[in-house]
Parts: sequence; structure tokens; C-alpha cells
Amino acid sequence: MSLLEVKNLRVTFDTETGRVEAVRGVSFSLGHERLGIVGESGSGKTMTGRSVLRLVRPPGRIEADAMTFDGQDILHASEREMRALRGKRIGMVMQDPKYSLNPVMTVGRQLTEGLRLRDGLGRADATAKAIAALEAVQIRDPARVMEAYPHELSGGMGQRVMIAMMLIPEPELLIADEPTSALDVTVQAEVLAILDGLVRDRGMGLIFISHDLRLVARFCDRVLVMHKGLVVEEIEAAHLMEAQHPYTRGLLNCLPRIGGPRAPLPVLDRAGF
Amino acid sequence: MALIEIENLSVTFRAKGQEVRAVRDVSLSVGAQESYGLVGESGSGKSTILRAICGMAPVTGGTIRIGGQPVPTPRGRAFSAQVQMVFQDPYASLHPRHTIDRTLSEPLAIHGIGDRDARVVQALTDVGLPPAFRFRYPHQLSGGQRQRVAIARALMLRPRILLLDEPTSALDASVQAEVLNLLNRLRAEQGLTFLMVSHDLAVIDHMCDRIMVLQHGRTVEEIAHADLAAARMTTAYARSLFEASADRMLDGPVEPAR
Ligand SMILES: Nc1ncnc2c1ncn2[C@@H]1O[C@H](COP(=O)(O)OP(=O)(O)OP(=O)(O)O)[C@@H](O)[C@H]1O
Ligand SMILES: Nc1ncnc2c1ncn2[C@@H]1O[C@H](COP(=O)(O)OP(=O)(O)OP(=O)(O)O)[C@@H](O)[C@H]1O
Ligand SMILES: [Mg+2]
Ligand SMILES: [Mg+2]
Repeated sequence: MSLLEVKNLRVTFDTETGRVEAVRGVSFSLGHERLGIVGESGSGKTMTGRSVLRLVRPPGRIEADAMTFDGQDILHASEREMRALRGKRIGMVMQDPKYSLNPVMTVGRQLTEGLRLRDGLGRADATAKAIAALEAVQIRDPARVMEAYPHELSGGMGQRVMIAMMLIPEPELLIADEPTSALDVTVQAEVLAILDGLVRDRGMGLIFISHDLRLVARFCDRVLVMHKGLVVEEIEAAHLMEAQHPYTRGLLNCLPRIGGPRAPLPVLDRAGF
Repeated sequence: MALIEIENLSVTFRAKGQEVRAVRDVSLSVGAQESYGLVGESGSGKSTILRAICGMAPVTGGTIRIGGQPVPTPRGRAFSAQVQMVFQDPYASLHPRHTIDRTLSEPLAIHGIGDRDARVVQALTDVGLPPAFRFRYPHQLSGGQRQRVAIARALMLRPRILLLDEPTSALDASVQAEVLNLLNRLRAEQGLTFLMVSHDLAVIDHMCDRIMVLQHGRTVEEIAHADLAAARMTTAYARSLFEASADRMLDGPVEPAR
């Protein structure tokens, strides 16, 4: 049985200026594997991820034929049942860490709060676990970062703090929305290795949302390509670079290459779709 | 004479009795109309160097000169007419309750520059946005459109120098290509000088003439553009960045110079 099952998901916003159909019928199932979601800005990647946690704010509306996590109906689950899943069994690394971290609370307090309240750990144990989580995401001076406020972190450090926070409760499903977009390649490789280990050793399911097609091709097992709220192509990650859909090809052609020509980069001909 | 000269720059943050030596003894110079890239480990001090130039970081040593003159403290209007910065975070850098029109015309008002209407329309056109966008608020724009507004704002005062902090890392491939093409076109048309941070070596390779690699706040190595693609770096760290770059991984083993 698959870990997550999503059938015909739709997300709609009724705004003063009319209806926005952010997601228009997305279906997929996820096992203990790495599923990538790629696609243009505004194509509905984030809304698809947030829908799984039912974290779409009004006027946004989620509809689907079915949505199940580990056999449990999460489309009709009560808000209380959803709270029991969020952060604990299903984690989500948000696209913008600066928005998701509390600006007036130290990193240490944000990391240990759950461990102390939810898991009943003592102060020393919680702190030790939090420091270990920071070290795992390659934070070089975890003791200092524990005392720091979010604005005292670099862009990539904020992102890694978010990842550490989501991994501490050992979720069964992790939705990671652009989790490594601010990281240099070597730190990124370490963070991906952690995620990879969790999928392989603990059987975690991973939804990896990213605009970096090369990264997804290398890291994921399977990829959904989204465009205007629809999945336009589903493909083995290893074959992503040979994708046939003109939209996927267009996205691939836009990327600069080391040693490539200095001429203007090809851009997507949006009129074509 | 170089347009931007940084000599032995050090920046140290103090928080709760702890010292963070974010930048240690870094020197670099950027010629007029050159494009210079900063790459390196997350937390290595790249953003802090750009902020130090703008007077937004606690400099504890060294000198910064623009056009041969030491930068004044506070930086003042003459400085911002010459040097403008585009920040790492496109979500946080535009005021959420100001229209695009207000965001773009404010620098003109502060500097007592007239003809604002025409200049705002021209700036939007320069970055490839329709003039009607001036009446919108940031939340009504996509991430890529917002980043283009941030670039348009930086260009309002017709500066000579743009400091660009990860200008495209939050953007998808297609919007990134548009923004990079835009920056290169504007550099050629307006004779701009770039000092640019990116963690994406392919972006840096496409945009920059010379590159500095940083780690732990220190310079590791300076590399000329031709030497990057040819893998002629001399330090292990610079080589590890190169080898871990995604497009290299897909190509298999590193190829010799093309
Ligand atoms: N509150 C809202 N009101 C109206 N439309 C919205 C709202 N929130 C999101 N949308 C729209 O929903 C669509 C999908 O947004 P989503 O955030 O899922 O895109 P995305 O694929 O994650 O893009 P990005 O790569 O830029 O993060 C977009 O067109 C967006 O403008
Ligand atoms: N206001 C501050 N107070 C204390 N420390 C700070 C502050 N701003 C930055 N730092 C520290 O300075 C160091 C360098 O940060 P900087 O933002 O320059 O890194 P960066 O190279 O831009 O990294 P990234 O690629 O992750 O954005 C980090 O250790 C960071 O925690
Ligand atoms: Mg998104
Ligand atoms: Mg930075």
C-alpha cells in the first residue's frame, strides 16, 4: 500500500478579481521514495504540497476525489486529527524560512520546544538532540546558532535550521518546498544525503519541490512536471533530461552551463502552451 | 584604477558576548564595467561583504574605496546615486503596502529628481514589465516579476555599480534566464559594474569575468572566467564546489577544457 494517495486534487481561490484555479486536477501516489515536483513559478507546486497538510488559507479551497495518508482519509479528517499529523508524522519545510521561523524566539528555543512539550524530554536532552540536528545539516557552530535569532543567520543557515526542525520528530512523510535553493553545492550535497538516508533506512516518503531540474534529475526517483495547475508529464528522474514534453524541454534549455556560450539564454516561449 | 577596491576587510558581529568573525581580511578589486562573482559556502560571509560596502555591517578593519575615494560613513546620497544593491530575498525586499509606483518613485523623490512619471515607465519597460504594473502591490506579482521590480528600483538612480545578492536563486529556470539576460543587457547598455553573489556556479560562469571563492569568511582562491570552465582551480575547496555542481554531475567525469 502506498504511503500517500492523491486523486484529482483541485485548489481554487475566489478573489475579488475572479477565480484562480491554482491546482486543476492533480493525481499521484507516493511510496517510500523520493518524488520530485518541478514546474514554472506559479504552476501550483507549493499549493499541491500544502494541500496534503490541508494548510491552504481561505479564500483558498481544497477539493479532491480522495486523499489518504497511510490509509487514513485526510480529505475529511477533523482539524484535530490533522494537527496530530502535522509536524509529527508529516513534516513540511516551507519555501521561505524567514517567514516560517519565529523572529523573536532563539533558534534553540524553536528547536527544543516540540521535544520538551511533545516528547517530554528534559532541557539537557532536548538541547543535545537539537545540537545534533544542527550538526547533521552542516551548521558549523551549533552552540552559537542555538542562541541566535533568525535575522542573525545567513540565507542558507535559515534554510538548514528549518530542515533540522522538521527532521527532529522523525516524520514518515516529508514535504520539502525548495529546501536547498539557498545552499552552495557542497552543503546541499550533505543535506540531500541526510534526506536520502531517511528514505532508504527509515522508509520515509519524500516530496521534493524544486525549480532546479538538474538537481531533481539527480536526486529523485520519479518526477511530476507541473504547468498551470496540471501535471503535464510524469517521468523517471533518470530520464528527466530527455523529457519529451515541449514545456519540460523549454525549461531545460533555459539553464546556463559551466563553459557554455555567453550569448543570451533561451527563454520559454510562453505563448506556445 | 579599479572602480571598487576592498583591502583587508574584516567584519565582526557581536551578539550576547559572542563574536562572529563573518569576514576576515578579504581584499578584492573590481574594474569599471567588470562583472565579479562571489561564491562559497553558506555562511561564509558573501552577503556580509555586500552589506559592508553599503554601510550595513559592523566593519572592524580594512578599507573600501569606490572610484578611488574611501566610502563616507554614513554612506549618504552621493553614494546611493552610484551604488545600489539587490537583496537575497525577493519576498522581503519590497514594502508590502506600497504600490510598485511608489517603490520606484521614492528614490527619485529623495534625490529631488523630477520627471518621475516618465522615469518609472521607462524603468518598468527596461526590465520587461508592462507600464500598467505600476499600480500593483507586491503580492499581486509572481516571484520573478517581484525580482524584476527590485532590479528596476536599484536602477532608478542610474548607478554605476550594482551589488547583486543571489538575484535568481528564488526563481525558476525560465524566469532566471529572463533576469540574467536582462542584467547582461543593462550592463552593456548602461556600462554597469557588477559585484554578484550566487551559489550556482553555472550562473556565475555565465555572468562573471572573475570569481572569488570564500570559506569561513576568508578568501580561498580567485579564478578567472576561462579557468573556471577549464577546471584550472588550485585549491581543494574550489575544486569540490566545481565537481559538485549539478550540471557537471550529469555529464559524468569532468571534461578537459573546451
Ligand atoms: N491567496 C491567493 N489568492 C489568489 N491566488 C493565489 C493565492 N495564493 C496563490 N495563488 C496563485 O496560485 C498559483 C499557484 O501558486 P503556487 O504557490 O502553488 O506556485 P508555485 O508553483 O509554488 O510557484 P513558485 O515556484 O513561484 O513557488 C499562482 O498562480 C498564485 O498566484
Ligand atoms: N546581524 C547579524 N548578527 C550576528 N551574526 C550575523 C549577522 N548577520 C550575519 N551574521 C553571521 O555572519 C556569517 C556570515 O553571514 P552571511 O549572511 O554573510 O553569509 P553568506 O555567505 O551570505 O551565506 P548564505 O549563502 O547562506 O546566504 C554567518 O555566520 C551569520 O550567522
Ligand atoms: Mg512555491
Ligand atoms: Mg547570503
